[in-house]
Amino acid sequence: MRLLRRMGRWRFIAALAIFGPGFITANVDNDAGGIATYSLAGGNFGYAHLWALIPIGILLYVIQEMSGRLGAVTGKGLADLIRERFGLRLTFWLMIGLLFTNLANTMGEFAGIASASEIFGISRYIALPIAAALVWFIVTRGTYSTVEKVFLVACIVYVAYPVSGTMALLANPDSAPTWGNLVPRWSSQPGYAMMLVGIVGTTIAPWMQFYQQAAVADKGLTAQDKRAVRADVLVGCIGALIVVFAIVVTCAATIHHEGLRVKSVGDAAQALFPLAGANCARLFALGLLNASLFAASILPLATAYQVAEGMGWERGVDRTFREAPEFYTTYGALIAIGAGLLLIPGAPLLAIMYLSQVLNGVLLPVVLVFMLLLINNRAVMGEHTNSRIGNVVAGLSAVAVSCLVVFLAVSALRGELGS
Amino acid sequence: MVFWGEAYLSALLRYGVFDTSERYVGRLDDIVVDPQARFPEVTHIAVRPKGSRETVLYPWSAVRSASQEGIRLQPNASGSSAEPAEQVIHLRRDLMDRQIVDTSGKRVVRVHDLKLGGVGGKVLLTHADIGWRGVLRRMGWEHFALGMCRTFRVKFGERLIAWEHLHAPQTEDRLIADQTREALRRIHPADLADIAEELSAPDRAAFLEGLDEDIAADAMQEMDPVALVAAVNELDDEHASELIDEMDPDAGADLLADLSEERANKLLELMEPKEAQELRHLLTYAEDSAGGLMTCDHVTVPRGITVQAAVSHIRERFSEVETVYYVYVVDDDDLLCGVLTLRDLIVAGPDGLVDDLMAANVVSATTDMGQVDIARLIARYNLLALPVVDAGGHLRGIVTADDAIDAVIPTSVKKRIPKVFAR
Repeated sequence: MRLLRRMGRWRFIAALAIFGPGFITANVDNDAGGIATYSLAGGNFGYAHLWALIPIGILLYVIQEMSGRLGAVTGKGLADLIRERFGLRLTFWLMIGLLFTNLANTMGEFAGIASASEIFGISRYIALPIAAALVWFIVTRGTYSTVEKVFLVACIVYVAYPVSGTMALLANPDSAPTWGNLVPRWSSQPGYAMMLVGIVGTTIAPWMQFYQQAAVADKGLTAQDKRAVRADVLVGCIGALIVVFAIVVTCAATIHHEGLRVKSVGDAAQALFPLAGANCARLFALGLLNASLFAASILPLATAYQVAEGMGWERGVDRTFREAPEFYTTYGALIAIGAGLLLIPGAPLLAIMYLSQVLNGVLLPVVLVFMLLLINNRAVMGEHTNSRIGNVVAGLSAVAVSCLVVFLAVSALRGELGS
Repeated sequence: MVFWGEAYLSALLRYGVFDTSERYVGRLDDIVVDPQARFPEVTHIAVRPKGSRETVLYPWSAVRSASQEGIRLQPNASGSSAEPAEQVIHLRRDLMDRQIVDTSGKRVVRVHDLKLGGVGGKVLLTHADIGWRGVLRRMGWEHFALGMCRTFRVKFGERLIAWEHLHAPQTEDRLIADQTREALRRIHPADLADIAEELSAPDRAAFLEGLDEDIAADAMQEMDPVALVAAVNELDDEHASELIDEMDPDAGADLLADLSEERANKLLELMEPKEAQELRHLLTYAEDSAGGLMTCDHVTVPRGITVQAAVSHIRERFSEVETVYYVYVVDDDDLLCGVLTLRDLIVAGPDGLVDDLMAANVVSATTDMGQVDIARLIARYNLLALPVVDAGGHLRGIVTADDAIDAVIPTSVKKRIPKVFAR
């Protein structure tokens, strides 16, 4: 066969490693809630959470690789598999959980849009309806795949963080993180545990597993493409983690070092002051706007798609409303409620972005347990079941995150979360 | 035995099973039907004894009565843990919560519940429930919901699919009732392609295997390349090569080009040498050139024969060719000399020579011509197909107008599918 023909396949695999579902998932994950959470972590706790990024990174890879493998081997989405293996009842409650968590996440994205637009001096009462309409049209008009590339390219704004961080560190070498910051530690600072759950929840959001598995299955990848899927996930995880690391360190080296604290979105922008000076707020808003719009156009759609898949409704934006009423209702409701609730005067934008990530952390262990049960099932996975190491890492994390969540719930009950 | 009029599987699965001395045997775990029979008849029940992982099968004849108080077995009923010899469907395991094909609605649906009915001492699978009623019933809320509807005088009907329209490609041994096979035959290949695309890759492969070969090949030609490749990767070599053999050569070559080289070669080796040779030849052309777009399925007649001879020549040699309207006149070396239409042949007297009837200045493309130029030529000269010649002027194939259009108009516009996940 001629080389040119073979190129097609090769290019496909190569492109997969760069712009595959894993990469996109990891990038969308650095959304409004992510930026808010990382800014809060670095700005308010300094380097106290830095050590956690390494185990979180490993966990992120293990989990996303599992969901990629589930998708490639079965050709089915996670909701689909859970429904077939665990029946309607469990699926129903899981979908309810996913729906509410993702609604909170969607609100987080729109909160990001509102914050960014207010930095530019545009009222949220104008920005939010426009953004909601934009998201609806981008997706239902089928221009999403084009727009996605714009979003991805615009992610280059994140480069501002390492640059700004380096400038701050050069100016104040004593504010640099040390190797000691990577040693696991615990702090009894108020809000430390909650922040930890937030970081876990935003880095490894439950919707990501659903989204990535469906995207892998939808791209027609099969068990033979296991390696390419793995490479794609690895590249995505490393990329995502670099961004997280850069944001936390930059915020710690600037905001935290100067003794400031992050109380509003404007405060978080101070991290970019060394680079952009007085324009730091605008630069920050630009990054936040891109991240929020990117995630806001994927998240409600992916949620509606997954819930419809689990419940067995007709789905897809190529259907008409008459063909897929439940799908469109869910999708529309997520956008309308997600943007609408923020129009209530005085809605605390930063808190919404952050708390949605904590909810993610709460749902994560549940999803993990389902994934582990599925991926170790020979009837589902054949010879591609999990290795022991994968099981141990994922199992331990499920236990660890669950413990954190329980700890959080207990603290909340004792009213220790006043701050 | 006595049996209820109709019942839902979800309700039956809550039943306990008791023997004649009212001793608890176990919980009803599954119901087994024989899909080969004229109607899908219940042949066994699977009972899971308390604390056991294995289920025990009792033949339906061993059931004395079934009611809300439970299922009673006949005296000296004996169960076995062996699967019945004939191919059967376990309703819960194979159908419940699964995605299946609704051949009447031409779509993929999810089964929320299954409805059974008693007819003359036999129990048959009658319907699959795919609506909200089924969901609510499974959640245990149907009663409440119906009460609410009655209060507000809203009608709340069921959405059922009759069993003869059910097709579950993923079930073991891929059992297909004759009625289902018949129903699948009546669906247009383009619709079959849409159904296949909605299934997961392994199910998609199973679905294609369940179709008649020629229908499957037609459906494959209509499928999205990404979905098609995933399905073919799940098929075994023999079946895949047979299906590709059955496809139009141009579509078959496109598919082979999307597979790994190793797999493509393996499949080509399994085909008849002649077909494989043709496909290998097509594969040497770039995908978006005339060579890559063309099909070798076209009608040619030799120079110098009469109209009558030409017609019988076409009848003998080209009865299976799809694009017959253009008849190309070639010499012994396959050099393209002219073209005439089928109408020319029909209208002309039987003794006229094709050389006198043909148009000698044929609009043609060379094998390396780009797709946009091809589309332009076809549009400009209002052609149904464009002949493709190599550098020496030998006729190699034709590009049909629909293939040329497919190549120019982006798929997203053509099928108006803004997919959820960008491909």
